[in-house]
Amino acid sequence: MTKLSLKDLTKHYGSVKALEGFTHVFEAGQVHALIGKNGSGKSTFVKMMSGAIQPTYGTIEVGEDNVQFTTPRQAQDVGIATVYQELSLVPELSVAENIFLGRLPRKRCGLIDWRKLRLLTQELFEEIGGLEISPSARIADLSVGQQQMIEIVKAMSFRPKVLQLDEPTSALAQAEVQHLFALVRRLRALGVTIIYITHRLAELGMIADTVTAIRDGHFVGSISIDEASPPVILDLMFGDLPPLERPATQVERHAPVLSVSHLALSPFFDDVSFDLYPGEVLGIAGMLGSGRTELLHAIFGARKFDGGSVSVGGKTVTAPNIQTMKSLGIGYTSEDRKHAGLVQMLSSHANLCLAGQARIAPSGWTTKGRERPFVDYQIAGLHIKVGDPMLPVASLSGGNQQKIVVGNWMNNAPDILLFDEPARGVDVQAKRQIYQLIWEKARDGVSSIVVSTELEDLTECCDRILVLRDGQITATFTNDGLDPKDIYAACMATPQTVETTA
Amino acid sequence: MTQTQLTSLLRRNSMLLILLALYILVATTAHGFFTINNQLNILRNIAVPGMIAFGMALVIIVGEIDLSVGSMVAVSACLTAWFVEKLSGGALEPAVWTVIVAFGGTLLFAASVGLMSGLLRQKINVPTFITSLAMMATLAGLANLITGGVPISSFPSWYYVIGSGRFWGVPVPVYLLAIAFTITFTISNFTALGRSIYAVGGNMEAARLSGINVWQTKIICLMMTSVFAATGGIIYSSLVNAGNPTIARGLELEVISAVIIGGISLFGGKGTIWGAFVGVLFLGVLLNAMTLWGFNPYVQQVIKGGLILGAVFINFFIDRK
Repeated sequence: MTKLSLKDLTKHYGSVKALEGFTHVFEAGQVHALIGKNGSGKSTFVKMMSGAIQPTYGTIEVGEDNVQFTTPRQAQDVGIATVYQELSLVPELSVAENIFLGRLPRKRCGLIDWRKLRLLTQELFEEIGGLEISPSARIADLSVGQQQMIEIVKAMSFRPKVLQLDEPTSALAQAEVQHLFALVRRLRALGVTIIYITHRLAELGMIADTVTAIRDGHFVGSISIDEASPPVILDLMFGDLPPLERPATQVERHAPVLSVSHLALSPFFDDVSFDLYPGEVLGIAGMLGSGRTELLHAIFGARKFDGGSVSVGGKTVTAPNIQTMKSLGIGYTSEDRKHAGLVQMLSSHANLCLAGQARIAPSGWTTKGRERPFVDYQIAGLHIKVGDPMLPVASLSGGNQQKIVVGNWMNNAPDILLFDEPARGVDVQAKRQIYQLIWEKARDGVSSIVVSTELEDLTECCDRILVLRDGQITATFTNDGLDPKDIYAACMATPQTVETTA
Repeated sequence: MTQTQLTSLLRRNSMLLILLALYILVATTAHGFFTINNQLNILRNIAVPGMIAFGMALVIIVGEIDLSVGSMVAVSACLTAWFVEKLSGGALEPAVWTVIVAFGGTLLFAASVGLMSGLLRQKINVPTFITSLAMMATLAGLANLITGGVPISSFPSWYYVIGSGRFWGVPVPVYLLAIAFTITFTISNFTALGRSIYAVGGNMEAARLSGINVWQTKIICLMMTSVFAATGGIIYSSLVNAGNPTIARGLELEVISAVIIGGISLFGGKGTIWGAFVGVLFLGVLLNAMTLWGFNPYVQQVIKGGLILGAVFINFFIDRK
């Protein structure tokens, strides 16, 4: 049983203090949840403990030993293993091969000792227990949850004393989460000290023994799970958070800015019709796979549809494509920030000027100087925290990256904005700022469509909510103190039993 | 200037420093290197690979590649000669207009080849690595087909001026190199198109969803490179005073090496035209120095290969630190 003690752990990037004087003792054999909003210093902590980056100063002690390491390999050697959110398994190899990748047992002649590999894997599986996965199964044939568990088993094969799990459940379905928790509890029983990083506050009660919070690079506090009620946790993470009130809006429903009629896109939906009015914030709810993203793509011209039509300002758009839709004042922010929202290697400056080139530089000629006012305006208006706008956008936190995506479109002065999961991977504060921005723009007459998996997000943000189900809009709700449960019921129910209130 | 600013400045210009070191080394050891004449000589020698490298830089930044530029140089030289021969009816001193029409026809041909690779990439999603590899063979074959395998010497007597002439002491190809530099430098730094090139190369889907016309951007880069290669072909045709199908073999590798030495990422989205120029100049100076040092050509090849590797390694190393 080995505890993990940190003294004055600090990381500075130039003048930016990512983590400042982190001092705390993580007791042995417990699951310690580490929470904090985006950009709080959580990732810096994880990377430092995994050996990916080096602390500016401060000490790390595993048990009684003062340890120092400069590479992930050395971190493993001193007993700290890390499992990242992104999987790093080779899909075409077996479970056993993946676990012992790079250190496969060999026979004397140099060939791989398959028998020993099987034995080693079985030994490891027995020690951990409860894994219903065959060591010879191909990784590609496993579910994401099973892959995540293999990732953890692989980390365990290094016999770590401390195991860091970085958002292990972010891609898992509910049933798989339970399996993963069972595994984590078994590891805890083996005496491993587990640092559990998560965004899902609802998980804390199920898995954690203690909750430790980081805010703005500082250690805020650590409490046992019994004391960690939701308000206490939010207080730890955010300090004082004012309540969020959706402003009362007066949407005039005469002339729609956007009309979607009988839109069909096989196999996602076959008859979707609705109107969007000036200054309205319209939510679209639906289960996973109901075609919400595809619907936005179809409206935005990013995807060809099979039938129906889209009208903007009363005029039907023939053969819509992104360029046309953009010129008609529509903008779209993607649910997948990393792969479809931002050009990660380019600067914040460049990313804020992607969509708005035609407005920033109508003649086609441009300079950094011409773009700068547009960049500064969005950074100030959206409260984006950037050290130097010329640095790659990849270095920003999730919330700030999301704001860059939004700011990018704001620079094109849109009339209609399509938000695909705007709150995904974003902390509460950044989420609120994005909502506030949507409402602010709504007052100026900009209409928005918001798609979200989290129904609470929709009831928090939208004036009116549509339910997309079985390829159609099956229910419409006016948001008047609406309960997310009602929407949930409508998402699940059969069309006949739904009562529409609009 | 703080230390971090200084290190970042050094890092960004690491290749320039290596080039400067090479300059100092060569200037102190090779007799006749640091003369105006020799420097102009170097610039003239890198004019053709240089202008193609500027185009190639844009193509690689936008996330594509063009392996057919060497063959494009050859076929353009032959095509120009062929046009002049046909238009003038094989006259001993062809009229000026035949040359001008030949230039127009050749450049138009090159542009349409670039357009075609782009459309193949867009419509049936064939990587340009493959289309341009096929194009490399096709164009080389076409050069032989046009000429029947023997050089066509059809040019008027003044034609040498394009490759070997001088204005105010500066070789004509150097002016063309400067023009190509100005065009590509301006595009990459001061136009919306330039911004699009970096965005498309950095993340095609993000660029598309930002309403950037991804294919138009890629096709413009491919067409531009083809046209620069054809211009190079015209310069070479003047230098050898014939349309010779065997010229510029392997030029694509030299150009791509220069672009990589210049710090342009083969994965797209990263790099500058200035970097491409530094890369080309590095190779040009090296070649010139080895000739002055009296190395035999085979040794030169080996050293050149080794130094390219070394430069890329240093660049990579500095980049990662």
